[in-house]
Amino acid sequence: MAAPTVAPAGPLPVSAPPADPQRTQRRRRHPGEARAAWTLAVPFTLLFLAFTVWPVFQSLFMSFTDTKQKDLRTPFQVNFIGVANYARALGDPVFVQAAANTAYFVVVGVPLTLAIALLAAVALDKGITRLRAVFRLGFYTPVITSIVAVAVVWRFLLQPDSGLVNTVLAWFGIDGPNWLGEVKWAMPSLIAMATWRNFGTGMIIFLAGLQSVPPSLHEAAAIDGANAWQRFWSITFPLLRATLLFVSVTTAIGYLQFFEEPFVMTSGGPLNSTLSLSMYTYNQFGYGNYGLAAAMSYLIFVVIAIVTALQFRLLRENT
Amino acid sequence: MRTPPIAVLTVAALVLAGCGRPADTPPSAAQASSSIAEGPATGDLTIWAMGAEGEKLPDLLKDFETANPDVKVTVTAIPWSAAHDKFTTAITAQKTPDLAMVGTTWMGEFAGLGALDPTPSSIDKSVFFPGAWGTTEVSGTSFGIPWYVETRLVYYRTDLAEKAGITTPPTDWDGLKAMAKAMQDKAGAKWGINLQPGGTGSWQTVMPFAWSNGAQLNNGDQWTFDSPEMTEAVQYYQSFFTDGISNKAPAPNSTVEPPFVDGSQPMFISGPWEMSAVEKVGGKGFADKYTVMPMPVKKTSSSFVGGSNLAVFKNSQNKDSAWKLVQWLATPEVQVKWYQLSTDLPSVQSAWQDPALASDTKLATFGTQLKTAVAPPSFSTWEQVAAKFDTEIEKVAKTGEDVPTALKTVQSEAQSIGTGN
Repeated sequence: MAAPTVAPAGPLPVSAPPADPQRTQRRRRHPGEARAAWTLAVPFTLLFLAFTVWPVFQSLFMSFTDTKQKDLRTPFQVNFIGVANYARALGDPVFVQAAANTAYFVVVGVPLTLAIALLAAVALDKGITRLRAVFRLGFYTPVITSIVAVAVVWRFLLQPDSGLVNTVLAWFGIDGPNWLGEVKWAMPSLIAMATWRNFGTGMIIFLAGLQSVPPSLHEAAAIDGANAWQRFWSITFPLLRATLLFVSVTTAIGYLQFFEEPFVMTSGGPLNSTLSLSMYTYNQFGYGNYGLAAAMSYLIFVVIAIVTALQFRLLRENT
Repeated sequence: MRTPPIAVLTVAALVLAGCGRPADTPPSAAQASSSIAEGPATGDLTIWAMGAEGEKLPDLLKDFETANPDVKVTVTAIPWSAAHDKFTTAITAQKTPDLAMVGTTWMGEFAGLGALDPTPSSIDKSVFFPGAWGTTEVSGTSFGIPWYVETRLVYYRTDLAEKAGITTPPTDWDGLKAMAKAMQDKAGAKWGINLQPGGTGSWQTVMPFAWSNGAQLNNGDQWTFDSPEMTEAVQYYQSFFTDGISNKAPAPNSTVEPPFVDGSQPMFISGPWEMSAVEKVGGKGFADKYTVMPMPVKKTSSSFVGGSNLAVFKNSQNKDSAWKLVQWLATPEVQVKWYQLSTDLPSVQSAWQDPALASDTKLATFGTQLKTAVAPPSFSTWEQVAAKFDTEIEKVAKTGEDVPTALKTVQSEAQSIGTGN
């Protein structure tokens, strides 16, 4: 009696692994192939070395020297001053204020942007069925509009006497503040503008994430008696974790470097209350303090790295 | 990266070993070339100019080319926003033009980089306004000439001043303040005078008061922000805000013209370009409703002088012809013609006797003010120091910060930034 030949239930086993993987690898490394590979890679490698690796090293080097504008012709005839630039940046009260402003902007702005983006995505996914494309386009338009045009419009909206915002507030008997001219309102105004400008990107990505949630899970939960909120909180939200991580990391990186909003709207004022780290660094480059500005850039880089690592820790999959 | 760390460290060590400033920096050999040769200019010349000047200069230079048939001048127009970067890149790469229009506040920096050719001794400095000539001097050596100038005056609405009972313009500090107050009390103005409460460039409005009080920004290589004269002037400036005569919280990027025209802010301090700007907003007949007056006197009446210079670059292969072009641009007739083309005010004093300028009373006031106008020192760090000053002025105007404290802060920050020399 021949043994019954039963097809394996699982996937078919792939061909047996080679007896000696090392030898195969060695055989693949044909000298001609390697040369061809390098020849093909040389243009990219050279460009990468010249325009990516070298500037990174040069700027890092610069941050440890007293490079000023007048040293540009002789970039290596400068004095090595250790971490003095870093110490000077951290001891500069304006830099510290700019750091606090940036923290304010990120801590309020990122959650707000994420919340509104998620809300808009859920609304587009479930609530709004008619004219969905129009709303999607409408919410995304600010992302692709030039900041200069946006700034002109927002400055009109926020005009203290004749702006639309204060006109509407006046209908309800509220005397609107001088939004961009007062210390306590300038930053919230910029956060509102940045949120409005940026939530479209998050919304599109959330929308894709929402549409990948299997409807069968929702149906099963609905049959089990879960209400809409429970279904969202226990099914949709956990499945969106990876999307949330991505949107949160990219938004935080963008917001930590925020520059355009104060640059076009307030020039950092009033009283430096909207001066951001990037903008202060930009100013230092403008004054020709290249060493100091490079050190400031690396401090921003370190902060971004830390914040990103924290987000990965907090939002990673609980497996 | 597979590169062993030791290799990276070795490279880094080698790079660092090659660093360090040369022990003896050669003294900037700043002896002026003796004089400009006789005869017409020849060869090719490239000149860089910014903004409207860059667009209009080719029209003017046609005359130069007619007078010097063997010369060919190419004008490169550069937008102001990109100009500073373009200059520093060109200087670093040694690819400068033969000559260029240079912003007065850049002189210290470019001369410090060793990029500019000292002015030949045959160019007579006495024909220019002394304050404007001062902007060409870096550590005692002149690099280039003033091309056109501007200065700041007090603009006011004559019709509203009359309503406020003022028929002769005030000449001193108390008079200016009383006038602004009267504009508020009797002429229905919301704010008496539009003064910039700090922020970029506010020093240009504050310093005329300080200079008029005998204050100086520097004494040689030392900054002097905390002098009693400076303190008094800034306190006077602050009083406009504490007394509610000037708006301490205007919207950012707000302009002076609309409130000037509608009478809500019937006075401000600014330069000659505002004449056409307010007349454009005010429409027909508005030119008769306002005028300008010199800065009020404390000890003197000393306003701020700005504008642009013309400089020849050291790397130029055709320096002699470049200086000939500079000399030609500084002749009174050409300066008047340039005024008619561009409305840039002449830096050459005798050009102001031309009827094109002398017949306009407002312009003539600018001409008078220019004789005593002062420029900040040509230190390469000036813009950085000015930004610190602007920040403290903002605190003084908006939060009522104590003036001596604010100026002490500016002084210590300015001293730590240095003069860049």
